[in-house]
Amino acid sequence: MSEFYEGLAEILEVDTAEVKPELTLGESWDSLAIVSTIALIDDVYDIQVRPEKLADCETVGDVEKLVAAEQGA
Amino acid sequence: MHGKTGQQAQTRGARIAGVVSALPPKVIENDSFVERFGDGVAEVTKMTGVKSRHVAEDGVATSDLCFAAGQRLLEGLGWEPESVDGIIFISQSPDYPLPATACLLQQRFGMRTTTVAFDVNLGCSAYPYGLWLAMSLIQTGALNRVLIAVGDINTRANDPLDRSVAMLFGDCGAVTALEAGDENDVAHFLLGTDGRGGDNLIVPASRHRDRTGDERFAGRNLDMVYMDGAEIFNFTLKAVPALVRETIELAGVPQEDYASFLFHQANTFMLNHLAKKAKLPKDKVPINMDRYGNTSSATIPLVMTTDVADLLKSGRQRIAMFGFGVGYSWGSASLEIGPLKVCETVIAS
Repeated sequence: MSEFYEGLAEILEVDTAEVKPELTLGESWDSLAIVSTIALIDDVYDIQVRPEKLADCETVGDVEKLVAAEQGA
Repeated sequence: MHGKTGQQAQTRGARIAGVVSALPPKVIENDSFVERFGDGVAEVTKMTGVKSRHVAEDGVATSDLCFAAGQRLLEGLGWEPESVDGIIFISQSPDYPLPATACLLQQRFGMRTTTVAFDVNLGCSAYPYGLWLAMSLIQTGALNRVLIAVGDINTRANDPLDRSVAMLFGDCGAVTALEAGDENDVAHFLLGTDGRGGDNLIVPASRHRDRTGDERFAGRNLDMVYMDGAEIFNFTLKAVPALVRETIELAGVPQEDYASFLFHQANTFMLNHLAKKAKLPKDKVPINMDRYGNTSSATIPLVMTTDVADLLKSGRQRIAMFGFGVGYSWGSASLEIGPLKVCETVIAS
């Protein structure tokens, strides 16, 4: 998970240590962050997630659940 | 024959003789957006990689840029306009809804009235499509010399307040000369389409289909381009790496024998990601959009006449090219190009 968290930290502009499931995505979760996260998930998991599903995510945990659901799909 | 990623096609007996791109003189740097978008400028620049772009002044149409490029090209090749048998204009921003811009260019270049001239409406995939079309026409023996004019004046369809497009696009026109070659001039193509993506990159204004009540475009000027960047990115992630792989397989030339991989200059972040995913060496994937932005149909020839011009003038090179986007439409080509007598960028006066 560390590669994914490191990437998310860069996208959300926070320290990697701050990235945990309960972290709220907040105001920085804009269209550029979503595109960057699509690329990150593609890089780390070789999965392409729908942008509107990412846009609905409110926390890091929501993003992880989305990835897990796609992996199981 | 259709493969996994597109219709497979092969042409024999046609080659590129030269290519010239023409840019409008006016350059707009990112600084000029700071007042409008504040910190957003840095964020968007980090993603798109565009630092400046050439912008057409009022009154300049796409055909003006293509005419400037074509004039220099014909002069450089020493081709009389009467010796050209066909001109194909491929663009999303023709001079008029009608007549075809290719007809206007035929007259302007002083080409024969026995010239074949027509427009094709494609953007990001225009160049591979144009090469396939022109090379096929030459292969039939019907035409000997053909010009492909591609270009777009994108900036006039940019909503100035929409940061997803206002800072991304630039204007350019480019003309490529093709002529009959010999049996060693073989080109492979893959061409594909998925119209389900039509609404994700669109100018919705239409005299024929009223989209004014459409929630997707609510509050927007329908004459301006609408782009769902995240959807487009998602599409390219699914489509392009597979297209790259299949193109290399189809041509049967080892990846390391390619001198350069020319991608439609869509977005720098996207191109870096695609190159990495397709396992292409970064130094063989030129990106020039820091200087010119995304010029739609003209991006691939503009890379040819800028970052790889010396390479294409120096000798015969194995090149692959990939165009993908609006439509959705995509196309790729694998062919040998060069040594080109003319391969340059001019400023249209």
